[in-house]
Amino acid sequence: MSPDNLDIQNSLDKDLIASVTDLKVYFESKQGMVHSVDGVSFDIVDGEMMGLVGETGCGKSVTARTFMQLVQSPPGVLAGGNIKFRSKNIKNGSQVIDLLDLSENQIRELRGERIAMIFQDPGKALNPGLTIRTQVAEVFQEHRENDVLEKAGLKNKLSGVTEYFVKKYIKQEAGFLVTTLLKIPPLSTYKKKIDSGINRLVAEALEETQIPNPTKVMERYPHELSGGMKQRVMIAQAIACNPDLLIADEPTTALDVTVQARVLDLIKELQKRHKTSVLYISHDLSLVRRICDRIAVMYAGQIVETGDAETIFNQPKHPYTQGLINALPSMSHERGKLEAIEGIVPELIEPEPGCRFVSRCMRRKANCEEIDPKLKPISEVDKSHKVACLLYEA
Amino acid sequence: MSNSKNTILSLRNVKKHFPIKEGVFQNVVGQVHAVDGVSFDIGAGETVGLVGESGCGKTTIGRCVSGLEPLTNGDIFFDLTPEKLLALEDFEKHQSEIKNKHLIDEIQSTSNISKIEGDDFYNYRRNCQMVFQDSFSSLSPRQLVSDIVSRPLKIHKVCADNELIPRTIELLEQVGLGKQHLYRFPHQFSGGQRQRISIARALALDPKLIVLDEPTSALDVSVQAQILNLLHDLQKQRGLSYLFITHNLSVIRHMADKIVVMYLGKVVEAGKTEDIFSNPQHPYTKALLAASPDLSEDVMSDMAALDGPIPDPARPPQGCSFRTRCPVSRTECGWEVDDIIRRLEHHETLIDSIKSVHQPDAFNAKLTFETSLSAIELKDVIGTNDIPKQMRKAIKKIEVDGNDVNISFDPVQTVPLVQSDNGSLSRCVLANK
Repeated sequence: MSPDNLDIQNSLDKDLIASVTDLKVYFESKQGMVHSVDGVSFDIVDGEMMGLVGETGCGKSVTARTFMQLVQSPPGVLAGGNIKFRSKNIKNGSQVIDLLDLSENQIRELRGERIAMIFQDPGKALNPGLTIRTQVAEVFQEHRENDVLEKAGLKNKLSGVTEYFVKKYIKQEAGFLVTTLLKIPPLSTYKKKIDSGINRLVAEALEETQIPNPTKVMERYPHELSGGMKQRVMIAQAIACNPDLLIADEPTTALDVTVQARVLDLIKELQKRHKTSVLYISHDLSLVRRICDRIAVMYAGQIVETGDAETIFNQPKHPYTQGLINALPSMSHERGKLEAIEGIVPELIEPEPGCRFVSRCMRRKANCEEIDPKLKPISEVDKSHKVACLLYEA
Repeated sequence: MSNSKNTILSLRNVKKHFPIKEGVFQNVVGQVHAVDGVSFDIGAGETVGLVGESGCGKTTIGRCVSGLEPLTNGDIFFDLTPEKLLALEDFEKHQSEIKNKHLIDEIQSTSNISKIEGDDFYNYRRNCQMVFQDSFSSLSPRQLVSDIVSRPLKIHKVCADNELIPRTIELLEQVGLGKQHLYRFPHQFSGGQRQRISIARALALDPKLIVLDEPTSALDVSVQAQILNLLHDLQKQRGLSYLFITHNLSVIRHMADKIVVMYLGKVVEAGKTEDIFSNPQHPYTKALLAASPDLSEDVMSDMAALDGPIPDPARPPQGCSFRTRCPVSRTECGWEVDDIIRRLEHHETLIDSIKSVHQPDAFNAKLTFETSLSAIELKDVIGTNDIPKQMRKAIKKIEVDGNDVNISFDPVQTVPLVQSDNGSLSRCVLANK
């Protein structure tokens, strides 16, 4: 690690697992640069569930994808900022790294191992041409070589060339020569043992997400499973390596309410059991309120308000947050008019300075169009509740 | 329902089955019971909400109502006067003694949407419009907004050619768009605006009924509120009736006067919105309500969830169709042999060792196993707590005979929709008492 990283290590608070500072992700387009994520900063407290809420196109998914360097470049441009992440449980203890500084190989080691992701549509995120077993096994084969060997009963029993071959096989890097050799005894017996070891690991992982009879499900293809089951497989895949940070990108949007409740319970339970930190991305406020400890509200590429879930819902300060909460039809409301936020989300191509919400804001002031509001704590007492609005600036 | 108003739409035991075809010759091997005997009425100026999980048949009903799918069975009547509705109900009660045959015949020929022809059918099409869920795929990407919105006007020849554009602008203004949007393509609009165009198109012919198939589920909350307000205002101005199909309970609570809850192609509960939300009768409605998060609820309250998958609609359970997932199931829910087989999926070895199943009807079956050991094991499994207690009680006879196991249940009739205390209808054995 370079000396730079040591500086960062000192600067990440003890109780945080990750911290995003002034993140800027732009996309090139014919009309100009699209400022999808424009100066986003937030912290994820270790072992907590952080909710990132916002409307379509506000940049919440891009933010999440930047964690794993999944934003395609070009057209994506990383225009600034950093994501500090405390990687625990690695050989030399816990260590703070900047996720955006890592090379392709380094981030590959983290993906699925320390940071895992659950995608929105399990129907699209799972490969339709591979069995569930193959897809879940990949995580173990990539990151948990020793576990596989242990399950196969081959740990510390192999040596030299045999070990090299077997490991190649586990890593799915076996070329023609190794594949052929693995068909001949005694290597073929090792291969069988490895296969059954992987099977057992996969079955255990599936079992953890409450999938009934995992050994059967394992041999199926994604289209043979229901939406809820597919999402469980995704979750099994994500938590297989017991990651430090789990990014859930609208994991229940494609599911029915009854199934959604089950999947949420599952995520919450697994989070508690493994003490995983979760970044939960959703557009559904009522859902986020239920499961998240802390919330950040995004609008047009910026965070407008952040704080404890209860504070945000009981005392929303930013006009956008207030509007969002009022726009939601609620079971206790009287029927009739909903308080809609009029207007549409502004274009994010080379945006003008000033508050992004100004065109839709009911409480705008004269200088709102000129001054870019900064995310600041609302009071001296509660430092965690921050708002980016001129109304609250002295 | 007040008797002075017309009934815009009346569904009477509507069934829609889709054939399952197989093989080179496309032989029909089964039927998917998408909609299985649904009845409800929509009054003039009323909003009826249709709720249920995906695959429960709510969209199929919408398509049947708007005439996009022919019915397998049953009738849909359009625009009935109170007298006609009474005559029809009377006719259904006493089928044998037909009092006013000519009135019934008249209703059948002028109001039954699968029997009307010519001008009447034209008139029905004009008066029943639809707004689809996905405005990306329901607006042609190659047509300008002016074409899209004025198309119904042209087809039904409601205004002269030189009035087309002014009328189109008027329609766009009604949905909060304007003249400047006339010559644009759908892709130039945001999701909310596109949904407004769909609504303008539906309004063009001044219909009596609009079928709204999940009109806001692809939209953000702030835009959803705009669209819901728009629909609300239009209904007030024009006295429209809506059939509002959605899975979002908070939206339906906000929009609907009456609610119809569907499960597996059947209505499980129907009644006034307030009644259903304040005092749901059917366990399924209760589960749905408990599962949907809402801002007004206590955060710490448990989100109840349902176990198990939705049964295959090609082989819907007899008796109560919800019993396989029901938290309060009873002995008399209509358990059948298929339930045992569904449960056996947890016991892989057992289900693998079944050689053949001889099933004369849903309540009796002879399972043949490869070994007598498995047959005895099945009996043991049924004795354990893996099987719901209520289901075990419902088994009339279980006998092991060598490799065979004979199982029989008490046959149970389909559970009827019954009026409960608060006036809503519910289909549950608990409400029957």
